[in-house]
Amino acid sequence: MLTELETRLLGVMMMVIMLGMGASLTFKDFRIAFKKPQGILVGLLCQYGIMPFLGYLMAVVLGLPPALAIGLILMASMPGGTTSNIFTYFSKGALALSIMMTICSTLIAVAMVPLLLEFYSGLKGLPSEYTVPAGNVAQVLVVLIVPTLIGIFVRKWNPNVGATVELIGGALGIFVILFLILTWVPRNHVLLATTAWYVYFAAIGLGLVGMLLGYLLARGLRQDTRRARTIALETGIQNGPLAILIVLLTFKDEMQQQVLLIPVLYSLFIVLTSSVVTVWFRRISTREELARDRAKVSTGPVPTLA
Amino acid sequence: MNHPAPNYDRKPWVMHYGQNIAQDLPPPRQAHLAELIREASGRYADQIAFTTCMPNGMHGSLTYAQVAQQSDAFAVYLREVLGLQAGARVAVQTPNCLAYPVAAFGIFKAGCVLVNTNPLYTPVEMEHQFKDAGVEALVIVDMFANKAEQLLARTAIKQVIVAQVPQFFSAIPRGVIRLVMKYWNKALPDLVVPHVRLEAALAQGAAALQAKRIDVAAYTHGLGHDSLAALMYTGGTTGVAKGAMLSHGNLLANMDQALAMGRSHIVEGRECVLTALPLYHIFAFTFNLLCFYSIGARNVLAPNPRPIQNLQRAFDNYPITWVSGVNTLFNALLNEEWFTAYPPRSLKASVAGGAALQHAIAQRWQRVTGTMISEGYGLTESSPVVSFNSMTGSPKPDSIGIPVPGTDVRLVDDEGQAVPVGEAGELIVRGPQVMQGYWNRPDETAKTIKEGWLYTGDIAVMDSDGSFRIVDRKKDVILVSGFNVYPNEVEDVIAAMDEVLEVGVIGVLDARSGEAVRAYVVPLVEGLTEEAVREHCRKSLTDYKLPKTIEFRRELPKSPVGKILRKDLRAEYKLKNAA
Repeated sequence: MLTELETRLLGVMMMVIMLGMGASLTFKDFRIAFKKPQGILVGLLCQYGIMPFLGYLMAVVLGLPPALAIGLILMASMPGGTTSNIFTYFSKGALALSIMMTICSTLIAVAMVPLLLEFYSGLKGLPSEYTVPAGNVAQVLVVLIVPTLIGIFVRKWNPNVGATVELIGGALGIFVILFLILTWVPRNHVLLATTAWYVYFAAIGLGLVGMLLGYLLARGLRQDTRRARTIALETGIQNGPLAILIVLLTFKDEMQQQVLLIPVLYSLFIVLTSSVVTVWFRRISTREELARDRAKVSTGPVPTLA
Repeated sequence: MNHPAPNYDRKPWVMHYGQNIAQDLPPPRQAHLAELIREASGRYADQIAFTTCMPNGMHGSLTYAQVAQQSDAFAVYLREVLGLQAGARVAVQTPNCLAYPVAAFGIFKAGCVLVNTNPLYTPVEMEHQFKDAGVEALVIVDMFANKAEQLLARTAIKQVIVAQVPQFFSAIPRGVIRLVMKYWNKALPDLVVPHVRLEAALAQGAAALQAKRIDVAAYTHGLGHDSLAALMYTGGTTGVAKGAMLSHGNLLANMDQALAMGRSHIVEGRECVLTALPLYHIFAFTFNLLCFYSIGARNVLAPNPRPIQNLQRAFDNYPITWVSGVNTLFNALLNEEWFTAYPPRSLKASVAGGAALQHAIAQRWQRVTGTMISEGYGLTESSPVVSFNSMTGSPKPDSIGIPVPGTDVRLVDDEGQAVPVGEAGELIVRGPQVMQGYWNRPDETAKTIKEGWLYTGDIAVMDSDGSFRIVDRKKDVILVSGFNVYPNEVEDVIAAMDEVLEVGVIGVLDARSGEAVRAYVVPLVEGLTEEAVREHCRKSLTDYKLPKTIEFRRELPKSPVGKILRKDLRAEYKLKNAA
């Protein structure tokens, strides 16, 4: 786990990164995201449909003990994390869509997360009373929305400053990701050494399988490949810190430690798996960009958004 | 032939001119380009003339006054510091960036001759061009400057002046761009070629200007319409690149002719044109650079339009009113959601040239943007504009439009006799925009310009309304994405391989680039691969000249005297691909 100072520092960096992300966008990008609201809806379906069910299914199939099952289902029911936006940015995905999905899923998390937890925990016969701290959700939203908006305005006001802020945000994003990846093994080797294989499987699998299912569902619902990749990242990448916070608020002592295990492991591994997936997605995006550049003219109807 | 040939002298196309287009144009008012540049610089002094817009939105601009000041300094640098004489050839080899207009205008103001050069040329191609033109100074972009090192000794080049893509940007964005280019893209090598930086050259020029109290205008005293302004290299019929001599009068006249066609959509001092095509190419050179500078437009320069995403910031940040492009560029834009969802509202009109504009693309563009693409026709030898679709009428599909004012066009058969309406003949052109000839090649000139008529080698048909359609090319020239590829050149390179006996090169239809180079190779040894041939070609040919497809075979169709018959190869390919 990170120390208090590191967490705060990370929070500040996150805002700088989001400032950079914002600087890469225009309001047009958001208007496009809004004019195709299917993208956001499909994303929400993945987020709150596929993921919790996947968490429940894995808990059942792997026969997880109750504390771990709670941790997994909780993790699976979280809204999208802000890191998904960074990964989407680097994978040349539909960043505005990603941000809109994060904002929407976070907004409805206050109502949706307790409902889902009650439902799936009930199915599994687990305790089902959780509070989602509204203040924390608001904090996530502020970290997300305010810097993004400032970034957009900065870019509109002066493209030179905007592009510089974007580069700084991007560089910081890479730095944070590398920092998390490079420091977690030395920090957590004891935990890692004592964890059972099926816990690993659940913690890593949740993100990866979530991405895969998110992609497939998005494609099935006629999202183009770039949007589907964006939705995949958004689906697989959950808000880990929020899950950890909820556990800390809800459980005490020994139980707390056990429930925490999967959210913590998930948060560690998702950075790694997302990085790999992002590099892969980025290559595909670049290839598609060039292919579009060279594509034959389509004789079909003009894609209007009106 | 039952129908009599039309009387081309009566110019049946003139009826399309309407009220917007003058039937005849007076000779250009200015004596030379330097005068035109100076006039515009004074008239629009405080307005922005050029903006380079990088793919990430970083940008730098020069006002008309700054362009005037910097190009004056460059002119003085060429004349006083380098000691060049009037008429000396100076090559410019940069992508679209602010350094380009400063250098090009400086060259005109110095009374020197501009030699436009593709920055992607290989050292072999550069050497041929620089030697042929007798280039005495070279302005080259830093990314490619080292290519000049090995050939300097074999040319007359006295000084290499190195420019940057973010030239004239303010310090921070320039620094950031250079850092990214150097360490992320690894595109900025350490320069090994002896050089001076453009900013240093300009400082020296400015200092000399002050110290010697130079009247820059004096450099161009005595220049007139017949004075040589630029050498534009082109392959022509035989495949050896040769310099089309464009005079000040040619370029000034062609500007007037092109502007006459577009006047209805131009408000002086208020236009913003996107320049995504390279300025070293005659189309963007005359149309974007010269025409739009003269009418006080803002020119948004895109250093690299590939991938097309690179143009998004330009459309986002600037109120683009005009776009010039080639078929592939319009097509690529139409494949982008950011473009089709929010087409630029400020856009008024676009022009296409370089290669045939596909009908489907023209229609789609009209539906998406609500504005039309006017297709034109021209060639390097005619500065380049010969014809354009009228911008006020409805565009005719697959038509190259009507001749611009002051231009005579005829279609003739092999005997030089005019052909009837609706029949195909070689398009020949006469007008003030027709070049003076090929540099140091009187024989080639005599073959191309006969009794004042430029023989284009293009086969066209005139419809009864006086508009023209190109149906075929007389020459074997292959047109890849608007660039001429000369089969001879490609054949020579491939034939130079030890493993190759002989080779024939033709152009075949290609969905992406219009035409693609296809090579038929007879190998001398077993096991020669396509990749090996291509690898060899890469050493001396620019990308677009590389054969896209290669077929190995035992023999090639030949004429009785042993000449490889390209037309038979083409026929065979067509037959195979029709089945």
